[in-house]
Amino acid sequence: MMTVTKRNILLYFRDKSTLFFSLLAVIILVVLYGTFLGNLISDSLPDFPAKKWLLLSWIFAGILAVTSVTTTLGALGTLVEDRSTGAELDFYASPIKRSALLGGYVVSSIFVGFIMCLLVLLTANAIFFFSGDEMLTFLQVFKVVGVISLSVISSSSMILLLVSFFKTVKAFAAASTVIGTLLGFLAGIYIPIGNLPAYLQTIIKLFPTSHSAALFRQILMEQPMQETFAQAPASAKQEFLKDMGVFYEINGSLTSPTFSVLYLTGIAILFSILAIVLMKRKRT
Amino acid sequence: MSKIIEVHHLCKSFGAVEAVKDVSFYVEEGSLFSFLGTNGAGKSTTISILLTLLKQDEGDVKVSGLTVGREDEAIRKEIGVVFQQSILDPLLTVKENLDYRARLYKMTKEERLAAIDRVATTVDISSIMKRRYGKLSGGQKRRVDIARALLHQPKILLLDEPTTGLDPQNRKQIWNTILQLQRETNMTVFLTTHYIEEAANSNFVVVMKEGEIIAKGTPHHLKSQYSADRLMIIAKNPAQLRSQLQTDKLVFTEEHSTVLIHLKKTTDAIVLLAKYEELIDSFEVQKSSLDDVFIQIHNGKDDMHHDDCYEA
Repeated sequence: MMTVTKRNILLYFRDKSTLFFSLLAVIILVVLYGTFLGNLISDSLPDFPAKKWLLLSWIFAGILAVTSVTTTLGALGTLVEDRSTGAELDFYASPIKRSALLGGYVVSSIFVGFIMCLLVLLTANAIFFFSGDEMLTFLQVFKVVGVISLSVISSSSMILLLVSFFKTVKAFAAASTVIGTLLGFLAGIYIPIGNLPAYLQTIIKLFPTSHSAALFRQILMEQPMQETFAQAPASAKQEFLKDMGVFYEINGSLTSPTFSVLYLTGIAILFSILAIVLMKRKRT
Repeated sequence: MSKIIEVHHLCKSFGAVEAVKDVSFYVEEGSLFSFLGTNGAGKSTTISILLTLLKQDEGDVKVSGLTVGREDEAIRKEIGVVFQQSILDPLLTVKENLDYRARLYKMTKEERLAAIDRVATTVDISSIMKRRYGKLSGGQKRRVDIARALLHQPKILLLDEPTTGLDPQNRKQIWNTILQLQRETNMTVFLTTHYIEEAANSNFVVVMKEGEIIAKGTPHHLKSQYSADRLMIIAKNPAQLRSQLQTDKLVFTEEHSTVLIHLKKTTDAIVLLAKYEELIDSFEVQKSSLDDVFIQIHNGKDDMHHDDCYEA
């Protein structure tokens, strides 16, 4: 399994186009924030202390969530490519178990996603440092790394299911582009959830990546929020948390971090089982 | 010699399409075995079953004494395969490719290095080890593919149309490599091809058509069984020769102004030539090539030829 894992990781990083396209959604996101989305969101909110720092943290939380999906997606593209070129036959004809082969693809995509998210986290911290804001504490970094792992694992399992439907690289590439674009909307990253109509809000709350984003926001925005809401009424804070998707309101109460963690875990298990069942059925 | 591959009553269908219909054959250890047939004859399906990539519907298949379907993992260690299409990673170097594939056989680092060295020498790719596989020429890629198949020192080397898409010079080089391998290592070489001249080098040939074996034997045997040499005569007076042949009750065909007579043996021509010497302006004895044999086997016209051949 380690062989396939290492090979896939090497392929991902060596293929400059895969690397670029898996980060394309992230690049687009950064450009959008830089050009107008950032101002748009900022203008829609009243002035309050540490506003820039808070929004920057919010943006990085969204970028982390998107990265965790698009990079695993790019890495699992190797599976589709191997299938379409016939490269998988060589593995099937070698004395390696099919489960180990599949495991290799999954583990490599998780690894790639993890590394890329860590890079984003590092960038975020560097930017906080250079803009004179507080950097994340050791405990926060530790928590973020935990959330990165969880969201990368759940993305990988969802994409594994998706991948089992694709036979050609072209179709998969097209699907990847669509996913990369939609992702920002479906996870309430381009536009905060509070500015969207009710039916979209429901979709966002169901979409697993939104929960990754929420968890990232809860951790990254912890310090700036303390500053922002030091003198503000509790209701204003509550409203902000809801509108920006730091917590989601389900059945009248705000979701707890534990709920989001459990939701992501459940998704990961469910989709893994579905993907494995589907792949087993296709084989015979 | 023992049988290293045994196939008994193999059947495989894909939905309504019967790709392989009740096929039986065996391959002797250390031999060069050719599987001949046009596209869609069922060669690839049979190979996929041998490689444990596909499950057969019916029939027993044994590879190196191991049963396909029960001892698949052990079988995979015994076979090295060169696929029709290039399956190595274009972005990795030749050496990286070989190293990663060698890992699939659970070799230690020393074993891998030794194995890569050995196969690189065998197929003469030492000079391109650091180049990316994707940047190599067709012939070089094929060499690397063969090197990959040899990494684990398999007992059987299986090549699926190894020379398809190569230019004549590369095709010849690849062939020399394959022949040399078989001679020097006493490895069993099993190949599929639709080039008849390639099958001519092998010890045994099986011809498949539409999922069935329609002929098998040594190339020599096939040739003598299915070939018919032709005597081509240009007569001084065609009408005279024609009537003479008719009175002698010889079967012949006419093409333009030449008369064609099928022969059982090449030497049978001597008798005919002596007999009609007076009437012959010029003549030629055409040996049938393996291509003719192949076409004849495929068209199923062999019976006719046998009845109509002249035998002295």
